[in-house]
Amino acid sequence: MSGAIAIAGLRYRYHDGTEALRGVSFQIALGECVGLLGPNGSGKSTLLLHLNGILPDKIADGGAVRIAGEAITATNLESIRRQVGLLFQDPDDQLFCATVEEDVAFGPQQLGLRGEALVTRVEHALGMVGLAGYGHRATHHLSHGEKRRVCLAGVLACEPTVLVLDEPTSDLDPRGRREFKALLQGIPATKLIATHDLEWVVELCSRVIVLDRGVVVADGPTVEVLNDEALMLAHGLERPHSLRHHHPH
Amino acid sequence: MLKDWLGHHHGHHDSLVHRLPAAGKLWAALAIIVGSVLVPWGWHAWFIGVSALLLLVAGLSRVGLWFLLRRLLLLSPFVLGVVLVNALQAAVPGAWLALAARSAICLFTVVLLSNTTPFGKVLAALRSARVPALLVTTLALMHRYLFVLLDESERMRRARASRTFERQRRMRWHLLGTVVGQLFVRASERAERIYAAMCARGWK
Amino acid sequence: MHIPDGFLDGKTAITAAALSTVGVGVALRQVRRELPPRRIPLLGLAAAFLFAAQMVNFPVAGGTSGHLVGGVLVAALLGPSAAIVVLTAVLVVQCFLFADGGLSALGANLFNMGILGAGGGYLVFRLVGSRLRGLRGQVTGVAFGGWISTVLASIGCAGQLAWSHTVPWSAGFPMMASVHMVIGIGEGLIGALAFLAVQRTRPDLVAERQPTSTGVLPGGMVRYGLLAALGLAVFVAPFACPWPDGLEAVAAKLGFDAQATSSVVHAPVAGYRWPGIHSAAGATALAGALGTMVVFGLALLLGHLLVRKPTQEPTKAATKEPPC
Repeated sequence: MSGAIAIAGLRYRYHDGTEALRGVSFQIALGECVGLLGPNGSGKSTLLLHLNGILPDKIADGGAVRIAGEAITATNLESIRRQVGLLFQDPDDQLFCATVEEDVAFGPQQLGLRGEALVTRVEHALGMVGLAGYGHRATHHLSHGEKRRVCLAGVLACEPTVLVLDEPTSDLDPRGRREFKALLQGIPATKLIATHDLEWVVELCSRVIVLDRGVVVADGPTVEVLNDEALMLAHGLERPHSLRHHHPH
Repeated sequence: MLKDWLGHHHGHHDSLVHRLPAAGKLWAALAIIVGSVLVPWGWHAWFIGVSALLLLVAGLSRVGLWFLLRRLLLLSPFVLGVVLVNALQAAVPGAWLALAARSAICLFTVVLLSNTTPFGKVLAALRSARVPALLVTTLALMHRYLFVLLDESERMRRARASRTFERQRRMRWHLLGTVVGQLFVRASERAERIYAAMCARGWK
Repeated sequence: MHIPDGFLDGKTAITAAALSTVGVGVALRQVRRELPPRRIPLLGLAAAFLFAAQMVNFPVAGGTSGHLVGGVLVAALLGPSAAIVVLTAVLVVQCFLFADGGLSALGANLFNMGILGAGGGYLVFRLVGSRLRGLRGQVTGVAFGGWISTVLASIGCAGQLAWSHTVPWSAGFPMMASVHMVIGIGEGLIGALAFLAVQRTRPDLVAERQPTSTGVLPGGMVRYGLLAALGLAVFVAPFACPWPDGLEAVAAKLGFDAQATSSVVHAPVAGYRWPGIHSAAGATALAGALGTMVVFGLALLLGHLLVRKPTQEPTKAATKEPPC
C-alpha cells in the first residue's frame, strides 16, 4: 500500500462492545484534499483518532493504518504524530495553554525545538493563519474563529505532511468559513476533513468518502458522489443546493 | 458575587508595576505578608511603612484604588464573626484592631499582586522555584479551564431556569446533586479529550 | 472557613504549613505512582470543577451561605491523594486570585480542609463502604464522610484560632462546630447525590482502583492519618482534653496558656462530672457526639432512599466515545 494515508480493513469496538468501525478501507494520495462525510454516529471521529495512533488504546502490530507506507505501531507513535496533524472538534480541548504563543509552541517544544528556532517557528505558524502578533493574547479571550485558527497554527507549527480535521467549520460564521477555506487551500499538505458542511466540501475537496455505520459506502469525485441524491439521502445526507443547478462535469 | 468579580482582573494591563518581574513581586509580597503577621503590633513603624509602600505601589500600578479598597470590604461572615468575637472576648482591649489591620494589609498586598501579575507569570516563577511540575501543571490547567467550566455551569443553569416554571430562587437539593455530578462528568470527559490533544502534539 | 492572613500567629501558621507541606509532598508522590498518564489532566480539570461547584451556593439556616468544599467527593471519585493535590490547587488559586484565604494561612487551610477534612472524611467513606456493601454503602459513606469532613475541618480551624489567641476555644469551638455541623449536612447531601449521579452516568470515571475490602487502603492514607493526628494533637488536644494538673503545669511552662481562657473541668475519671453544665465547649462536644449519631442515621436513610437495591452494581453504561 502506498500513498499518504492507507487504511485496510480497520475495525474498532467501543468498550461496551458496539462496533464503531467494521472494516474501513481507503487510500489517499499525497496532496489530495478529501472530505469525510457521514451521519452522526457513523464513526468519523473514531476513524480520525486512528490516524495518529490515539486509538486503539493498545496498538497491535496488525498495521491496518499506514502513514506514508509506514504502519502505525506502538513504537513509532512519535514519528507518526510528527507527520499527522490532528485538529479536534472543540478548540477549547486543544487550546490547553494560557497564552497563544505557549500553545502554538507546545508541539515544536515536544519535538525538541528551543530558543530562537522555537520563536521563529511559532511566529511563522501564526503568520500562516493570519494571527501574527497574537502571541501574548490569553486563549480564553479569543473568539471562536480565532481559537480555531490558533489550533491550526499549533498543528502547523509541527510541520505535518498530513492534516486531519474534525468538523472545522461547525461553529464558524460565514466569514470565518471563507477565511478558513482560504487558509486550507494555501497549505500544501495532504488533507482529510470530516465535516457536515456539504457546500464547503464542494468548494474545497476534490474527492469524498462517505461513511455510514462503520463502513465506507461511497468513495469518489465530490460532484459525482454528492449528486447521487438517492445515495445521499440513504445515508443521512443530502444533495447540496449548489449542485442542484449545476451540470455535473 | 464572586462570579461578577471574576471579570475585573487587571493582570494584563500595563504599568511600571506590571512590568516588574513576577518572581520579585512574589517574594516581596511574601515578605510583606509574613512580616505583617509576625511583627509585634507595637512596632508601628513597620505597619505605617508597609501601608505607605502599598499605597505607593497601588498608585503606580494604575489599578483603581477604589477597586482595590472595595475588595477589602468583601468580608465573609466567618471573618466578621472572628473579629467580633475577638473584640468581645480578648484579654487585651483593642486587640481586634491589630487583627483587622494585619488582615487588611495582607489582603491588600495579595489583591495588588494578583492584579499586577498575570497568572501565567506566577506559574513560571513557581516552576523556577522548583515547585513540583505536577502541581504547576494542575494549577495551569485549572486556571485555563476555570472559566470554561464556569461558562458551562452557567449554560446549564440557564437551560434549567428556562424549564423552571415556579418561582424558586434556591435550587432544590436533588437538582444540586445532579448539577454537580454533571459538571464533574463534563470536566472528566474534557480532560480525556485534552489528554488526546496533548498526545496528538507529541506529549510524552 | 478560609482563614485570612493575620488571624493565625507565627507558630500556628508555621506548624500548619509544615504539616501541610509534608502531606502535599506525600500526595504528589502517590499520585505520580498511582495515576495513569491519561488522567493527569483530570487533576487540573477536577480542580476547576471543584471551584465551579463551590460557586453553587446553598442557604444555611440563619441567612449565612454555606458551600460545598467537595473534598470527600473528589476523594471518593479520584482517591485521597489526588483529592489533596486538587484541593491544594483550589486553595492556591482562591488565595491568589480571589484573596479567599490568606497566603500565610494556606498551610492551615490546606491542613483543615485537605488532610483533616478530606482525609478524615475519606477514611470514614471507606469504613462505611466496607461495612455496607455495594453502591448503597458508598453513597452512605460519601454522605457521612462529607459531614464528618466539614466538622473536622471546623474543629481544626477552631483549634488553630485558639492556639493563636485570636478566638478562645471556649467561644470558637462551640460556634464553629455547631455552625459546621449544620453546613456539613449540605456537604454530605450534595456530595452523595453528585457521587450517585456520576456513578449512574459514567461509572468508569470513578477511579478503578477502589478495592472493597477494608484491609487495603490507598497508599498514603496511613501518613495522612498520622499528619491529621499530629495536627489534632497540637491544635485541638490542648484545649479539648481535661489535663491533669501536672501536665498542665508543664504546658504552662511551654507557653500553652490557653487553659486560662478555657473552662473545661479537670476531673479524675472516677468523679467525672457532666460537663454540659460547666462549659459551652463541653456541651458542644456532647451535642456533637449525639449529632454524629443522628447524622449517621440520616446518612443511612439517604442511602436507602437513593439506592433501591443494596448490592446494585453500578450500571455498565456505555463509555462515552467521541461523537461522530
